Amino acid sequence: MKTKKIVFFPAFKRVVPADFENWLENMAAEGWHIERVRQWSSIIMIFKKGKSKKYRFVYDLRAIAGKDYISTYRQFGWENLGRMASVYIWRMEYDGKRPEAFTDNDSIAGRDKRTIAAVSVSFSLFLLAALTMSIAAIFFSGTLSANDRTQLIIGAVFFIVLAVLLGTVMLYIHKRGRQ
Amino acid sequence: MNEEKAVKKYIPMTETMFFILLSLQQEHHGYGIMQYVKQLTNNRIILGAGTIYNSLSRLEKDGLIRALSDDDRRKTYITTGLGKKILKVEAKRLAELYKNVKSLLEEPL
Repeated sequence: MKTKKIVFFPAFKRVVPADFENWLENMAAEGWHIERVRQWSSIIMIFKKGKSKKYRFVYDLRAIAGKDYISTYRQFGWENLGRMASVYIWRMEYDGKRPEAFTDNDSIAGRDKRTIAAVSVSFSLFLLAALTMSIAAIFFSGTLSANDRTQLIIGAVFFIVLAVLLGTVMLYIHKRGRQ
Repeated sequence: MNEEKAVKKYIPMTETMFFILLSLQQEHHGYGIMQYVKQLTNNRIILGAGTIYNSLSRLEKDGLIRALSDDDRRKTYITTGLGKKILKVEAKRLAELYKNVKSLLEEPL
């Protein structure tokens, strides 16, 4: 029987915070548990097999968390599993009513907005890189060798694809949030 | 933040903000606010940790509440003069709403 399960790019496959939380909850219900979340957990997560548990997970992106952030969650009984990039992952075992960390529309929308803002930073950088490379390939084509021009075009296309991908992710989170 | 800006930003107030400000007429920490609001609303509103943390951060930043103690990272808060003024503006608005629907509530179903 398998005792370990490795999942690659879990946070990239589930970009909407609520989807990521539900996925972790379903994994725990099937007996797959993660005890710590680390910086690279968005790229790779290793689950260990154990008993089926009913856990509520919370995905909370905080670029800057105040010093009472952790203590506020702990007072409410949440267990901090750690951080991946700026995302804090919280867990609480429950029986009966599913606990919630965000209990009004403003704070639910705020959580999605913070996630979109974080994605928009990478989106802007990729877009800037794509534009810079495209401008260089167009306006300096006369001074560039064929090889350099090809490399610039490949680079521009690569960054355009990434920017479009992140743009789609932002729109998707926004759309799901409105639903 | 001055009163005019605060009125523009917070009125009409969400239930969450209203009950948090109301509970902070007395000193409370985050979990204490949740318990107070839960009792006040007969279990109808149970505020979550994320919602309370967001609201307290925003209210403190805008000067409607202030931190009193920071004991063992368990911050307690209380409303400021500005917070009380804004709460009264909202209370007046709610009273006006109630006055206008009172007759409706008195009608037999």
